Amino acid sequence: MIELFLVFLVFGFVGALMVVVNKILGPRKTNPTKEMPYECGSPPLQEGINPFPIKYYLVAFLFLLFDIEVVFLFPWALVFKEVGMTGVILMFAYIFILLMGFIYAWKKGAFQWEK
Amino acid sequence: MNSLNAMFPLLTLIVGALLVLILEVSIKRENKTYLAFISIIFLMICGFFCVQSWGKDFSYFNNHLYLDNFALFFSIVLIITTILVTLISMKYLSLQNTNVGEYYALLLLALSGMLIMVSSSDLIVIFLGLEVLSMSSYTLAGLKRDDQKSSEAALKYFLLGSFASAFLVYGLALLYGVSNSTSIAVIIDHFKTESSLSFMAFAGLGLVIVGFGFKIAVVPFHMWTPDVYQGAPTPITAFFSIGPKAVGFAVLVRLLYPFWHVAYDSEVIFSLLWIISALTMIIGNLIALRQTNIKRMLAYSSIAHAGYLMVAILSQDTSSLMFYFVVYLFMNIGAFAAVIALGKKDKEYLELDDYAGIGFKYPWIGATFAVFLFSLAGFPPTGGFLAKFYVFSAAVREGLVSLVIIGVLASLVSVYYYLRIIVYMYMREPTHEVDINLENPALFLVLFLCLYGVLQLGIFPGNILLIIKQAVSSIAFL
Repeated sequence: MIELFLVFLVFGFVGALMVVVNKILGPRKTNPTKEMPYECGSPPLQEGINPFPIKYYLVAFLFLLFDIEVVFLFPWALVFKEVGMTGVILMFAYIFILLMGFIYAWKKGAFQWEK
Repeated sequence: MNSLNAMFPLLTLIVGALLVLILEVSIKRENKTYLAFISIIFLMICGFFCVQSWGKDFSYFNNHLYLDNFALFFSIVLIITTILVTLISMKYLSLQNTNVGEYYALLLLALSGMLIMVSSSDLIVIFLGLEVLSMSSYTLAGLKRDDQKSSEAALKYFLLGSFASAFLVYGLALLYGVSNSTSIAVIIDHFKTESSLSFMAFAGLGLVIVGFGFKIAVVPFHMWTPDVYQGAPTPITAFFSIGPKAVGFAVLVRLLYPFWHVAYDSEVIFSLLWIISALTMIIGNLIALRQTNIKRMLAYSSIAHAGYLMVAILSQDTSSLMFYFVVYLFMNIGAFAAVIALGKKDKEYLELDDYAGIGFKYPWIGATFAVFLFSLAGFPPTGGFLAKFYVFSAAVREGLVSLVIIGVLASLVSVYYYLRIIVYMYMREPTHEVDINLENPALFLVLFLCLYGVLQLGIFPGNILLIIKQAVSSIAFL
């Protein structure tokens, strides 16, 4: 246990050391061109931070929800024989609730990208 | 008794919430009132199941869901709260341009989270319920989407709420580390065998209390309350001021009530809560003096009330705590209903100046609002007086005289700001025109019911005391 902790300590220390020493010892000669974001050598064409459509957010959100669902299905599949009928009923109830959520998202127009 | 019956109230709520959601998206109607009626029907069925299982001790999931009378009592109180809140929201939503049907589904889901919390004595399950409640609450706080204040409220509530949840979970982890279990009973049993509590146990308990302190808004953890209460839609403010508080205190009773009896050095936790209680009563009432926005003032008043409830926790008198909650439910929802009544299309009257002359212009609203304010201040013959009386007399019996003196002085201060509204309503000339939308039968029903509740509890509290006695004697410390 303590060895494991030491390993973490040493690696953490070395990592921190490298970052800090670089900061202290490195030469600090800078000019505007050097501070520019790297874009294959050509001058940057636009701002670094772009507005992106909110649909991404919706899709990410739905993906998260229906992805997490699977996480709950795995342990159920592992103990499927032991939990028996009760497990089946409970899992179907769970899937049913998710299905309702899916229908809600669908009807609400979360998948309609072009309006 | 292990039985599926224990699941029925929860199942009803969830089916109701899903049905409301599906109906909301499949029937395109401008008027969402029918969803309110559907959710009220489901709430009543849920209430019926709760009343039916009174005294039967149903349990399910290896006792992780245990419907003792204590849980049922709080469940019924919360169901009544939700019904009243649904009723006062019906007109409000269309007037204030927040016409979303999800509102009722979210209320039902929040209620289901609260029912999980009150009917479990396993800290992880309680945390699960808390998260169900919190997620719905954050959304409800931000439902006025074009209103900046409402969005601010939602974001603040979300950030501080998740911060508090982190505290709570860390506390749970430490308690689990000490006792190898998340069940309250096992943790307490473990404390019994130790001669003194380890530092880890203290830290764990402290963090759990901090986590719930955020939810019930006691003083060092009250910062979010005024902003959230002011920004959220007014019916939701009424809901926040009762629901999360009630469950927070119910869990604290389950956790601390056996703890006082077993641990040798519970004095540290006791004095900690003593200080929290005194600070809550003093600061809540003092800051309320300077508020001119009614919702903000009621927010600080609800902080102060959390302080009085803390006195009940400290004096180990669960029945006075429960009685206080029943009274608090009626008087606070009544007060908020009166505030909601003063509104018209896209306009709410929330400043103190708007209330000048209301007492003569709208005599019924003015008079009922005055009764609720008298009750909040603790005047006889209203329920508020008896509630404070029971809490403080129980505290005196337990020898907490100095705390009671602080409490009585603090509630004396509170009389000023409650009565100031009444002074404005009846003794000031109106400075500007206030016209309100009076076609709101559901709201007037709520005003009447709350008035009845406050007076009934103040004059003939016998029946409810009998029920509370049954509930207290059945608390199961599993």
